[in-house]
Amino acid sequence: MNNLDSLPKKKILSLFMTCGFPTLNQSKKIFNEILSHQPDIIEFGLPFSDPMADGPIIQEANKLALRSKLSTQQSLNLIKELSKSKNNTSFVIMCYLNTVRKFGLNKFIKNIKSIVDGIIIVDLPFEEEGEIKKSLSENNIHLIKLISPMTDKKRSQKLLEGSKGFIYYISATGITGSNKLDYLDINKNVHSIKKMSSVPVLVGFGIKSKKDVINISRKTKADGVIIGSALIQKYFDLKMDFNKYLKNLKKFIMEVKI
Amino acid sequence: MKTYKQPNTVGRFGEFGGMYVSETLMPLLLKLDKSYKKIQKDKKFKKELNELFKNYVGRPSSLHYAKNLSKYINGPKVYFKRDELNHTGAHKINNCLGQILLAKKMGKRRIIAETGAGQHGVATATVCALFGLPCYIYMGSKDIERQKPNVFRMKLLGATIIPVESGSKSLKDAMNEALRDWIKNVRDTFYIIGSTAGPHPYPKMVRDFQSVIGKEAREQILKVEKKLPDYLIACVGGGSNAMGLFYPFLNDKKVKIIGVEAAGRGAKTEETAATMTSGTPGILHGSYSYVLQDNDGQIKEAHSISAGLDYPGVGPEHSYLKDIKRVEYFGITDKEALEAFQTCSKLEGIIPALEPSHALAYLIKAFKNKHKNKVVILNMCGRGDKDLFTAAKAIGFDADE
Repeated sequence: MNNLDSLPKKKILSLFMTCGFPTLNQSKKIFNEILSHQPDIIEFGLPFSDPMADGPIIQEANKLALRSKLSTQQSLNLIKELSKSKNNTSFVIMCYLNTVRKFGLNKFIKNIKSIVDGIIIVDLPFEEEGEIKKSLSENNIHLIKLISPMTDKKRSQKLLEGSKGFIYYISATGITGSNKLDYLDINKNVHSIKKMSSVPVLVGFGIKSKKDVINISRKTKADGVIIGSALIQKYFDLKMDFNKYLKNLKKFIMEVKI
Repeated sequence: MKTYKQPNTVGRFGEFGGMYVSETLMPLLLKLDKSYKKIQKDKKFKKELNELFKNYVGRPSSLHYAKNLSKYINGPKVYFKRDELNHTGAHKINNCLGQILLAKKMGKRRIIAETGAGQHGVATATVCALFGLPCYIYMGSKDIERQKPNVFRMKLLGATIIPVESGSKSLKDAMNEALRDWIKNVRDTFYIIGSTAGPHPYPKMVRDFQSVIGKEAREQILKVEKKLPDYLIACVGGGSNAMGLFYPFLNDKKVKIIGVEAAGRGAKTEETAATMTSGTPGILHGSYSYVLQDNDGQIKEAHSISAGLDYPGVGPEHSYLKDIKRVEYFGITDKEALEAFQTCSKLEGIIPALEPSHALAYLIKAFKNKHKNKVVILNMCGRGDKDLFTAAKAIGFDADE
């Protein structure tokens, strides 16, 4: 059973959060809150010292998580603990390749098998995925593909071959948490991806509010959205008052569930 | 004997190297690789670059017989390949000219770069001034503090300096930020990477542009000594000056090659930048190579008195050359480098940068009273002007007096 294989047809909501942010204990509370809303997908970010594809907000979240020497094993244990109440929510890990390599691919898979449905390795391009993809697929974990506005049609075709779970469409040539959303451009590209693949297409990067979520749903053919930086940003907006943040998070998630 | 032919078509030096970047950058790197392959065959490009080397940089750089230092060591005959005499004071300009010509061919209108010691930043700002392109330099705030003269130089040359406050506030973090800028502005921006690090094709491209050093040195030494050198020595941070000198000699099996890393306060301490002595293979800045990392793969902060060597990674080709044992790598501490910095200044009348001071320190230490009748070429890859304040402070000389 892989929850990603039975995602709803429309308005898929995926919420990203960094593991261990701001502390391991508080992180548990945050994930419990997120999980209580039963979003379609939760993306668990494994903190990395040099998250070069992430913007300043997630970068800061990584830094806070690593402040107390959070280990990969602790992050995976957290995910395991939460999986007891996961129900239909899909669990996806988002990380950098060095984390997986250093932990050991087989050991990593052993830890997440039957718990995690998919994995996004941000800095693992299609050209380098060979062995990793094979091992993941043998254990029924989908390797989620990223497509950017820079990816041309020919490359998309190769990339999408045999793709499972969902496709992460990077809505802007930017890092996570960037500004502009160009709906016309997004729609054009999502449309072209959908012609090549029947897997749901989720739009991520730069989605900040209920309005953005509604616009993506109305103005594009995308099957859903991924929200990350906006979820974390609130913590800093609220001057790191954790209790206030938790309440605010609840309100925000209820808003973006359209 | 098998001829050396690395990397392969996907940028692998043995198992090292590769392209580990997000999908936003992948298409661009592939295109860069293609464009680079094309200009390699372009005679006009070669001619343009050679002319700039000759008339703008002042190449060929001389090969100086360091008589006094040789006498002091009481060992081999030591030659300096004097790339510190280049315009802008270091080897970095060789690569920047190559890359900016490529950027122009690719129609890019905005240049970004990272810098540690500021030498690459100065070289990039220089070529941007020459070609009239806007230039943005990412530099760790710690390095801005310790490399003030270069910061002012870059500003004079018209570059915008963007201070980087994240992480260790030095070269690694500057590179992270430059990569982020590139992801954001991928359409119009060309990223001039200054070392043989980063994703393919950078390690190959930078090596190729820098290999003018080794090619000249080879011709020059054959002329004066009528034979190849017995040893090559260069300092290694990311590794561009070293690859530049080493590469044209890799097939000459009799030439022993030594790379010298910055061991900071000691290769066995936490305060080191000796990646190959103290690190393990991992992925940093888009390539698989030796890195300083903990058990969870978190990259450690490096330490060296020399901002140019203060990097927890190293170019993938060096990792390969280490593993196949073609090049040997050793660490030199801050203290040893500072001593050599002074020795060379007094004996040869050449104030070396702190980076090649590491190579000098190894030479003095390991060759003292040994290897007589042998010939050594050491890459004097930068001059020490930029380090005067740092060195004065470390030696305890009050520069304000």
